[in-house]
Amino acid sequence: MDLFLQTLLNGLLIGGVIATFTIGFQLAFGVLHVIDFAVGGWVVLGGYLGYYMAAGLGVDGFLAIPIAFVLFGAIGYLIGPILYNVRNSRTARPELMALALTFGLFTLLRGGMLTAWGFNTHSVPTALSGESLAVGPLTVPLVRVAAAVFAVAIAGGLFVFLYRTRYGLAIRATAESRQNAALMGVNIRRLSANVYGLYAGITAMAGVLMGAIFSVNPEVGLRYTLFAFFVAVLAGLGSVGGALVAALLLGVIEAFVATYVGSSYSLLAIFATLFLVLLVSPRGILRHGL
Amino acid sequence: MKPRWAGLLLLIAVIGVLALLPMLVNNYWLRIATGALMWAGLACSWNILGGYAGYINFGHSAFFGLGAYVTALLMGDKLAWPFFATVPAGMVVTALFAIIIGAPTLRLRGAYFAIATWAFAEVLIQFASVMDFTGGIGGIGLPPFLDERFFYFAMFAAAALTYLITWALFERSRFGLKVKALRDHELAAEAMGINTSLVKLQTFVLSAVTASVFGAIFAYWVTFINPKSVFGGDITDQMVVMVLLGGLGSLWGPALGGVGLFVVNRLIWMYWGDTAFYIAILGAAIVLVVLFMPNGIASLFSRRAAKSGAVLDKAVGKLVGDDQGGPN
Repeated sequence: MDLFLQTLLNGLLIGGVIATFTIGFQLAFGVLHVIDFAVGGWVVLGGYLGYYMAAGLGVDGFLAIPIAFVLFGAIGYLIGPILYNVRNSRTARPELMALALTFGLFTLLRGGMLTAWGFNTHSVPTALSGESLAVGPLTVPLVRVAAAVFAVAIAGGLFVFLYRTRYGLAIRATAESRQNAALMGVNIRRLSANVYGLYAGITAMAGVLMGAIFSVNPEVGLRYTLFAFFVAVLAGLGSVGGALVAALLLGVIEAFVATYVGSSYSLLAIFATLFLVLLVSPRGILRHGL
Repeated sequence: MKPRWAGLLLLIAVIGVLALLPMLVNNYWLRIATGALMWAGLACSWNILGGYAGYINFGHSAFFGLGAYVTALLMGDKLAWPFFATVPAGMVVTALFAIIIGAPTLRLRGAYFAIATWAFAEVLIQFASVMDFTGGIGGIGLPPFLDERFFYFAMFAAAALTYLITWALFERSRFGLKVKALRDHELAAEAMGINTSLVKLQTFVLSAVTASVFGAIFAYWVTFINPKSVFGGDITDQMVVMVLLGGLGSLWGPALGGVGLFVVNRLIWMYWGDTAFYIAILGAAIVLVVLFMPNGIASLFSRRAAKSGAVLDKAVGKLVGDDQGGPN
């Protein structure tokens, strides 16, 4: 029973971190109508930023979080308009071209990171690494608790921003209907750049957290892209609220498979679940998809 | 009439050179030519669905790998099937999987299909890596057959057949018109009485089955396969780049892109060895082609094709008001 509770808790904590970047992913899809294959690339880049700041400058890994947001937010802000142009170009099949573009970007990031930093795995050191907290029979690594607290703060901030501010209203309106939002005076192009920047920044922050909890190497980007897709399919593409539920579910599924079956089966289990959901209920089990 | 004759003569010359090639070059270059033919064929196989039907398949390596694994398993010590019997078996298995994946997801937006195929290829990598009968991560070997000419002609025949079928079905038949119609405007195609779900599924199965044939020949050729070498995402990446580079939805574009990129790949390999830098080059190539040459190399030769697409798009956009487009 203790093992069961421990696994459940671990899963929920990890799921909380996954939720941060999958919410951003859903938001970017809602506004730009682009599936971003590069999501895993931003996570890994965030992790490397944390690692190099800690290893190179000797500061705590958690200090990289705001820097990751600013740096990758700026990069995303520059990439956003390019994606927007490709997605809305008048060439044949802009949807596929945009998909191919993010796929190319992901491949470029992965290849570039492998070339620059090699296949070695690094962990982001923080002040809390190695410490753990005992709650009754359960022990929880403090890094995970801190990461989950950060994640909840980021996700909460994002929800407040989306549902309590005028700009958040504009974002939600654009996700619902671009044409009507544009008619109400929303500058879709600028909004797309802002949303992609916001999403890239949040994703890189989640990457620092993931790097502190697990570790980072260029090949794990694939895993995070898969996580984002899994959540998107379960929640329905573009559904922001559903993403939170689906991300927690993903964390729990992964933790249970890793504990009770074996960690080499966890990816297989996630893919198989994703695949079954696509076959049985392709619009997502929460049925909020676009 | 003149360009037509020139094109036909060029085609005959290319086939003639390819048929005589084993007598002209040594085994080293023959292996490279065999690889180039395989990639030209695989690019065409991807283009059947991606270019003509407009559905991007990010897990095409799954079907290549299925063909390879079926051949490897059937030719193993226990069963010891002859090679030519394993190819149709691989095609049947591949077709079944294509139907299972395609039937539910091809009804949805292209994005779901892209995710499903990508996930399927990754499932197969994971599955083949943890199962015993596939040899796990170590992979499996096949009985060696060291006749470079056999494999050259096998790849040549497979590639020629793939292009011939593509030409006959997509450039010269009603079926091709149906597929292109649903790609350009699915709703309009459905209104014309086309069973779009069925046509898409047929196209997908054809695309998958052709890839499995190349996988079967490849497995027998290299005599040893493992999950990464036949299911790996890099294989799909390369096909996507080849088609985008050559020209999405054109008949000869994938051949140009396939042969061109494969030669570049071999040159990099010769000078720098097996390098991660190649992955970065592939990614950069995709990004640059999408941004600056969205119609590929083939569009440089036929301006008509490039123009008519754009004109059609504008006309369709005006007709339906295009809710995705937004204000430009």
